Amino acid sequence: MKKIILLFVMAAALPLVVGGCATPAHYIQTGGRESLVTVNSINIQDFIQAANDATSDLLASGALDKVANPPAVLAISRIVNNTGQQIDTDLLTKKIRVALLNSGKAQTTTTMGLGGTAEDPMAKGLQQESEFKSDQKATRTPDFTLSGKIIQTIAKDGNTSQSTFSFQLSLTDPKTGLAVWEGEKEITKQGGRPSVGF
Amino acid sequence: MKTRILLPLAGAALLALTGCRTSMNSIENAQKTGQRQMISDSRVITDGSLAKKVSFVGVNQTMTPGGFLKIQIELLNRKHSLQRFSYQFEWFDANGMQINNIVSPTVPDQIEGGESKFISSVAPTSACKDFRVKFIEN
Repeated sequence: MKKIILLFVMAAALPLVVGGCATPAHYIQTGGRESLVTVNSINIQDFIQAANDATSDLLASGALDKVANPPAVLAISRIVNNTGQQIDTDLLTKKIRVALLNSGKAQTTTTMGLGGTAEDPMAKGLQQESEFKSDQKATRTPDFTLSGKIIQTIAKDGNTSQSTFSFQLSLTDPKTGLAVWEGEKEITKQGGRPSVGF
Repeated sequence: MKTRILLPLAGAALLALTGCRTSMNSIENAQKTGQRQMISDSRVITDGSLAKKVSFVGVNQTMTPGGFLKIQIELLNRKHSLQRFSYQFEWFDANGMQINNIVSPTVPDQIEGGESKFISSVAPTSACKDFRVKFIEN
């Protein structure tokens, strides 16, 4: 009888041993509580938080309302990545752009970019063609440019690591060269190993 | 011999009792210049444990210069230890329809023992008229 019970328990435990404790693949809410948290890298929830803070702060400041022809036109300038990881800064700027567009307060140009490189070359070509045919300048000069920097500060004590990611953004009026709005969001994470959730 | 066993046990018990206890003192001006525009709120409590630890003191609102609704919620930690929680703001238009917001994060936060703390958010569009904030213990 004891042997049967022992065999039964062993058979039940076998899938656990073979399959290990790995979680089967499943969907989670992007940026939600089940997201993986790693100390030394920026996680998607960090980008969402930083973009949310920047957008809320910018909208609350009223800086975008001070243009002659609303909505304000925005051009994206350089976002410097001073962290130890390779990141696509569009993960931050695109969220801000979408949120600002949805707010009705700003639109972003896709035909102007750093060094004359357009985000949408086809739109730029068509725009130039249209301007040539009509002999009129259709391009609206941006009211503001958005630039920034992402900085990582690392601290370590024994097995505990700590990273602070600073998301710094500036909205500049190109006519005056003055920053009309500046925002900074700092996210600090501490731990010994990656974890799930907050 | 007994003392050797009892002493570490007593030390551990003392640590367990006092180790994580923190509490916050504060001071502020008694004659307030600013007046908070408090609003009546409706609460749904499904986690009584969290509600006992971190309670809602009140909600006040204002409009930003750009015409966006800004909400501020005051929280109070009724315990003498740090509490961790997450919250998320949801926004609704005049028809009660939820407004999809690309940057609507679940924000991890913490509150020290005995601390009173404010959390706030600005509506993503001027069409937002109502809000809901979800809280969950971490």
